[in-house]
Amino acid sequence: MADRVRTYPGTRKPTPHQGHGKRNCVKVLERLSAYLDDELSGVVCEEIRAHLGDCPNCEVFLDSLRQTVQLCRHRPSPPLSKDDRANLRRQILKAAATA
Amino acid sequence: MAARKKSRTVPHDDSDVALSTSAPFDQLYRDHVDVMYRFAYRLCGEAEAAKDLVQETFLNAYRAYDRFRGDAQISTWLYAIASHACQRMRRKRKGEPERELSLNEFVPTSEGEFALQIPMEGLSPQEALENKELRQILDRAIAKLPRKYRMVLVLRDMEGLSAKEVGGILGLNERAIKSRLHRARLFVRKELSGNGLAREFHQDVATGRR
Repeated sequence: MADRVRTYPGTRKPTPHQGHGKRNCVKVLERLSAYLDDELSGVVCEEIRAHLGDCPNCEVFLDSLRQTVQLCRHRPSPPLSKDDRANLRRQILKAAATA
Repeated sequence: MAARKKSRTVPHDDSDVALSTSAPFDQLYRDHVDVMYRFAYRLCGEAEAAKDLVQETFLNAYRAYDRFRGDAQISTWLYAIASHACQRMRRKRKGEPERELSLNEFVPTSEGEFALQIPMEGLSPQEALENKELRQILDRAIAKLPRKYRMVLVLRDMEGLSAKEVGGILGLNERAIKSRLHRARLFVRKELSGNGLAREFHQDVATGRR
């Protein structure tokens, strides 16, 4: 994930409705995943960076989206137990044989 | 293909099954069952449904193994079988609303919607996920995603596949995958924000969960 913009949450409080209904904010919001995934051209990245520097709300929003992606990437899931692994194998082969 | 050819003469007696099945299937199962279970658990959100999906996936793989042409990685082939099996199983169960997510619904309109409500500052994602409440909210948010968006989020952000691989698995172009992924991330983000949590609290109160 690109780490182009350093944000310091807590140091800049977002103000409500600060231009977030505006076209530029929506345009930036549409591209934030592509921005995080490093899929945009340098020119577009510059435009987004310029907007973020000027719009604390969008900067906080980007940070929260980045954190969301990181949480998804690191969310573990429980492993399959040895017994379940053996039982499943037996059931699959039994179903395959009787089909 | 000879190396992949398997015996289909599997005895009906359970006690003999383990001794007489073909080695290629066993190897396929041994090498991939943990990954497929992880994927299934992430899609289904609970163990029993995940086991059903794993069983369906490997049964279909067993039957189609002779037709596997080897032009994709075997793990990608299994992901595709599991994804299709998941869609079929959900269609059978019915009832799951399959709605489109619009970008407009993710544009914040009040101050509490910009940041995540459980702060992560100074914590790694692993440390943040030690918070049980955060884990539960994240899991619920993923479970609430309409299926076609959840599928993309799980494959891309949780299983770590590329947009191209996910497109191949789901039969969609990369642009469609990226569009669904973005909406899925925005949906989960919103659920983790003040707005999502406030809505969840009110729903919990209404349903007596709190």
